[in-house]
Amino acid sequence: MASSSDVNPSAGNNPGNPESGSVPEVPEASAASARRGRVRGRRAAIMAVPAAAVAAGLAILTAEGALGVQFAISGMPFTVTATELNGTGFEQFGGLDQMAPGSPNEGDTGGQVLVITSAIKNATLTKLCQSVDLGGTNLVITAGGGKDKVTASDLTTDSTELSGNAAFNNIEIGNDASTLTKAGVKGPIGVFSQQADTVYIGDLRQTNYATTAGVFKLPGLKLGFGSKGC
Amino acid sequence: MSGAPQQGMRSAFRRWRAARPFWGGLLLALGGAEILLSVRASLKVILHVGMQGLAGYLLPTLMLVLGLLIIFSPAQRLFYSITGVMLSLGTWVTSNLGGFFVGLMLGVAGSCMAFGWLPDQEPRRSRRQRRREAREAKAAHPVPPGPEPA
Repeated sequence: MASSSDVNPSAGNNPGNPESGSVPEVPEASAASARRGRVRGRRAAIMAVPAAAVAAGLAILTAEGALGVQFAISGMPFTVTATELNGTGFEQFGGLDQMAPGSPNEGDTGGQVLVITSAIKNATLTKLCQSVDLGGTNLVITAGGGKDKVTASDLTTDSTELSGNAAFNNIEIGNDASTLTKAGVKGPIGVFSQQADTVYIGDLRQTNYATTAGVFKLPGLKLGFGSKGC
Repeated sequence: MSGAPQQGMRSAFRRWRAARPFWGGLLLALGGAEILLSVRASLKVILHVGMQGLAGYLLPTLMLVLGLLIIFSPAQRLFYSITGVMLSLGTWVTSNLGGFFVGLMLGVAGSCMAFGWLPDQEPRRSRRQRRREAREAKAAHPVPPGPEPA
């Protein structure tokens, strides 16, 4: 591959020797239009084979839960379900998400969506299922179905719907959202909020509207398209 | 592929495309764009998460830039494509599993095509035809003017 790396296709630096240099910039020459640059299969394979190996390695490491991956989804509503969520450091406060002016999704909401922001410092989820509606088909990610659970850190979600059977430990209700301390996220001043040392939610179901950000470890990862969401 | 010079935009574009790894660069840029679309998190959240959240934006943006650079500055395609494949693989960790795998595959395929691209190649021929010509060439002279080693 070193033999060709010195060939400069755009410069056309040796016009006197069309046999060794490449002069495709000369449009009149009949040889120029016949001799085109193209992809050599074996040369591409030099990179494709290790790249595919690394991609497979990343997928395997993620599926084993050794490698955390980061999610930051927005713009599309997506659903998260889990049979069980255990978390330490929990905060929740209300907020208003403002849509872009004139957004077609406005409807009768006046461009504002009331969302609940939940932040969990460290969370363990059993049988996580996450689906995004792509219009007609759903992208479904499932993980944590085996003995290893999904773990997530700095999980922050803006949701419009949140259901489940919740139990809190050491809960403080009615704090000002700007004084929260448990999960390291601060809300806007003057907004109702609550926080707790630990949280347990059974049969969690969340419709997230705006964003989530956090590092997930997803043992037993499955990624696929399906007609049905979570 | 005809020898006669053709007039018009199409043939000019064709010639321009022939001088650079066009499809590889385009795929890499498209992969970066797809991942950017899938991320779209609000900047406030990104800043809260910190460097790791910023990387979710940075990697696909760089993929987009590298894809365009491959098209417009093809002489540097080896560096661009090697960097591009690394960034594409990195988005698995930083940006929604590489834009839910789609953008990652586009980026890796594009980088590999840009890496494997060579200027000034013979017109494409079928494998059988190549073999027959190689045989004839061998019969003519003992040392064949073999194709460029890949």
